[in-house]
Amino acid sequence: MDDTIFRAVVYALLQGAGMLAVAPLLRGTIKKMKAAMQTRQGPPLLQGYYDLAKLLRKETVRSEVASWVYVAGPRVYFATALAATTLVPVLVAMAPLEGAGGILGLIGILALGRFALAAASLDTGSPFGGMGGSREMTIAALAEPALMLGLFTSALAAGSLDLGAVVRSALAPGVVFQPSDIFALSGLFVVLIAETGRIPVDNPATHLELTMIHEAMLLEYAGPDLALVEWASAVKELLYITLLIDLFMPTGIATLVAPVPLLVAAAAWAGKVLVFAVAITLVESTNAKLRLFRVPELVAVSLGLGFLALAIRFL
Amino acid sequence: MTPNLVILCAAGMLVTAYLMVGQKSLFTTIRLYAAQSLLLATVAVVMAISDARPHLFVMATMTTVLKGFLIPMFLMRVVDRIGIHREIEPFLNVPTSLLACLGLTVVGYRVSTGFPEGTVGVTHHVLGVGLSTLMIGLFLMVTRKKAITQILALLTVENAIFLVALGITSGMPLVVELGIFFDVILAVLVLGVLVRRIVDRFESMDISRLSKLKG
Repeated sequence: MDDTIFRAVVYALLQGAGMLAVAPLLRGTIKKMKAAMQTRQGPPLLQGYYDLAKLLRKETVRSEVASWVYVAGPRVYFATALAATTLVPVLVAMAPLEGAGGILGLIGILALGRFALAAASLDTGSPFGGMGGSREMTIAALAEPALMLGLFTSALAAGSLDLGAVVRSALAPGVVFQPSDIFALSGLFVVLIAETGRIPVDNPATHLELTMIHEAMLLEYAGPDLALVEWASAVKELLYITLLIDLFMPTGIATLVAPVPLLVAAAAWAGKVLVFAVAITLVESTNAKLRLFRVPELVAVSLGLGFLALAIRFL
Repeated sequence: MTPNLVILCAAGMLVTAYLMVGQKSLFTTIRLYAAQSLLLATVAVVMAISDARPHLFVMATMTTVLKGFLIPMFLMRVVDRIGIHREIEPFLNVPTSLLACLGLTVVGYRVSTGFPEGTVGVTHHVLGVGLSTLMIGLFLMVTRKKAITQILALLTVENAIFLVALGITSGMPLVVELGIFFDVILAVLVLGVLVRRIVDRFESMDISRLSKLKG
């Protein structure tokens, strides 16, 4: 018994560290591909790591009026993003800490991180922070139910709320493809765009005060605090993509822990993440940013698709 | 593999119909229609291969060329020429429309089980998706103000009927389908001209103004 717990913890640590290590590369790849589509050269692939290293070396500058909420915000955000990685199967068809929580645990943990950051953005009393926080929560309030509906559709098919069990049931032979999967996938892809602050919803590359959402919350942060938030956001993005891969295209994931299946699974996972990165790049390059008041309509579409997916499962 | 691909494309068509309801840019709507037609063509190709029905290849080719490229290009040119305001103004706001479409989809799926072929497997999903798209198309036609969006809604309905025909029968005879294609081309051309006449007269594409008499 002790042995299995020990192994789960080691596995969770390895997976968390792996996700932390790879996440900035994903952002770099998307930036590079975007630049290529605009016939620019773009920043080097590893720029994300350089930025993080630079920010972590800087001294911490905080507002005089900042309280502990301001200090805790980035730390809680980072911790929740890291904790969430242990609930999602990445290379093996089993989440490291599967017993600790399934879909609901994952959603709750992510919501906690978002709440911590929004609360911290209000703390210094700067108008931008509050504006960003309010916008982020407005979008999150709509995106979260959409995420839940999409995930429940898969959970319903698997008969379990554990992500590992969902993946294993999707891998079982004789599973037919359902139209509801398409609806859930489309809905969740919109959620992915909205939650990671990609272009039709938010623009990660700008600091124009009228349009920014996520960045507005972080204006006050500098140095290591900012690095934590940036890093956690990158991990969250990778996490959402991994979640979509697990639910809708789990083929290739390792069912037992052995070197060869693990290598195959790693290659398959990287390939599938790249597919999503290309999709995100295409969406970002071909769309203009939506007006803020149009964003709820877009997210409502994904909510509708999620609901539809769930309804069709029963019909 | 084959049923999966058919279901994938059919469900994709319904998703495009939903996106048409959910967003307001006129050009995107036209592109969505093109994507929907291409998905329909894929369904036709897959069925042609799996059921060995070569005449479906002709349909698929015509769907791709006509509905996937020519008609969307024509509509975009009409919009460009007229230089109208490029946003769709629906009578109902987007969330309400989406809710209505959700209800319509549930109805479509429920009705599809009434067909003797529609109770199981792939046909159930193709029929359900087809009927739902059909009803969403009708809904779009009722709730949109611009003449161009009405044409698009009509074309969506046409796509949906095609899908239902593919699902229930083993495809209509070639002559009938060619006739339908000819009708569609003609309808789009005539409606395109009509739209320009409406714009000339009323300086707007808003068809709710047609109810005002003008001497």
